[in-house]
Amino acid sequence: MLDTTRQQAVTVPRAATRRARAAGSAGIVALVVVLVGGLALLGAFLPVSRALVVENAIGLALFAVATNLLLGYGGLVSFGQAVFYGAGAYTVMLGWEHWGWSFWTGFALAPVVGAVLALVIGLLSLRTRQLYFALLTLAFTQLAFVLAQQQHEFTGGDNGVFGDVLPGWLADPRKGYMFTLGVATACAFVLWRIVTSPFGLTLRAIRENRDRVEALGVNVFRHQLVAFTISGAFCAIAGSLFVVHTKSAYPQLLEWTKSGEPILMAVIGGMFAFLGPAVGAFLYVLGQQELVQHTQHWQLILGAVLLAVVLLRPDGLAGLVTGGRWRRRPTAKEPEAGEEE
Amino acid sequence: MIQADAALISASSLFLAAAGLTLIFGAMRVINLAHGSFYMFGAFLTTSLVGLATGSRFWWAVPVAALGVAVMGGVVEVSTIRRVYGREHLTQLLATFALLLMFADVALWIWGAEYRTVPLPESMFGGIEIAGQLVPRYHAVIIGTAVAVGVGLWLLLRFTLLGWKIRAAVDDPESLEAGGVNLRALYTIVFALGAFLAGLGGAIISPQISVSPGLDLSIIVLAFIVTVIGGLGSVLGAAVGALLIGAAETLGTNIAPDMASTFPYLAMIAVLAVRPWGLFGVPER
Repeated sequence: MLDTTRQQAVTVPRAATRRARAAGSAGIVALVVVLVGGLALLGAFLPVSRALVVENAIGLALFAVATNLLLGYGGLVSFGQAVFYGAGAYTVMLGWEHWGWSFWTGFALAPVVGAVLALVIGLLSLRTRQLYFALLTLAFTQLAFVLAQQQHEFTGGDNGVFGDVLPGWLADPRKGYMFTLGVATACAFVLWRIVTSPFGLTLRAIRENRDRVEALGVNVFRHQLVAFTISGAFCAIAGSLFVVHTKSAYPQLLEWTKSGEPILMAVIGGMFAFLGPAVGAFLYVLGQQELVQHTQHWQLILGAVLLAVVLLRPDGLAGLVTGGRWRRRPTAKEPEAGEEE
Repeated sequence: MIQADAALISASSLFLAAAGLTLIFGAMRVINLAHGSFYMFGAFLTTSLVGLATGSRFWWAVPVAALGVAVMGGVVEVSTIRRVYGREHLTQLLATFALLLMFADVALWIWGAEYRTVPLPESMFGGIEIAGQLVPRYHAVIIGTAVAVGVGLWLLLRFTLLGWKIRAAVDDPESLEAGGVNLRALYTIVFALGAFLAGLGGAIISPQISVSPGLDLSIIVLAFIVTVIGGLGSVLGAAVGALLIGAAETLGTNIAPDMASTFPYLAMIAVLAVRPWGLFGVPER
């Protein structure tokens, strides 16, 4: 699928990159061991109600990291990732409801459904650019939302589908937690391999300067389509983890505001760091959990925080840590509004 | 004929929601996710101003609500939107998404979660004859407002000094500023005007719908569909897009009622498949 020789030519000086990457990856491995170990300990020793909050955060962290393959690495603002997230949850629940699938069948098919949907939607929407792309993917997520609401006999309408879909041991909250953590970690590892592969580097090059990469002979559309499909598959896995968390699927999982969530998490956490979106997901979920106990105006605070981050630190919290500077995509071809800032 | 009436009502309310959105995008290249919030505030302000009394209060409530939303738009532009001009689309989308979240919370705070209705003023009962057909008076007012806004915008952009400045700001903001025009003030005015149109739309349509939180989300998606089909930044495109979606919705209700609400999305997907920059838009790189 990917002709690596051509993409190697796109990358920056190779020896330097490899050294930097090796040093970076050692640090990342240590970080991941600490992170995953810490989360496993939390899952084992926190009171169950608290552990379930963290479990929710882990699932959403995968959703955000998978979305960030497009956002941070591909420079593609898709407001439609909820289609794949919702499709993952619905695949498990509908298969169980209508055809008596076990959880495992649904779990295995969820990424396939997500990938196929993403391939179709990507083919239709990647011809459009920038805002048109964002708004077209938004239209797809609303289309799915409306369909899920209206096809009562099949989807259960507004109530959605719920029931004891989980096999006995997985229904145990602590085991469900460990399962979620394991799946999310494995998926994050695969995604990390993808973003550090020649394919991932080409994707970043397209983000930085699409025309130049195209002039080098890279098929931009195909690269973006592959990225879109991969992201769709992993968003669907995150959706199937939502079933482990709640044993249900309902239309709001497909709504466009749900598509906004991973973007918001990625931006709060930092979309130019691989785990930035995951950090954002934890802040989002834990922050919400804490705030709703003290105030009804959780959305107001969330909006204010998001606004502050976007206006003051567009590279998110990860930018504070890495000291990275906000990188603008080239906008030379874009009609500028004219004002500074 | 009843169907044509329904299609026109739907098209009119969509155009009122979309006109300001596309005007703002045309002048400042900013896409405003919080535009539906202006529409919702227009409707909510009207419910408060009218209260429960019937009668003529509706007629002054509508312009007051729209002006209130215009002031709100001006404040939003000066405090927030001004900082995202020329920035990435993602920054603009997220900043206005943040506004949407905050406005939704504030609306819930002020007006609560229950459904509110605005009684139709008595003078609007009954119908009038247009071209030999009996049209409900209120429907004629909605359609008339949309037509007036469309024509008014066209006249404004074509024949007034303000319109001349707005068009110049689209083509060459630097030269305009060098010519002594206060660009900042101009942008604030355009944004407030866009908010005014959204507020007017929400206010005038409020007797037709039940006003409740969530109105912002449902209208903004449809407004986007209309503007994107027409081509971002084109007022004419928004009008054509609104008619197209109004017709598609009405047609859908008659052909396949349970699939009707998917028609606007399918229409948008179909149009962008053929013209990725909309019917009257310009290709974006």
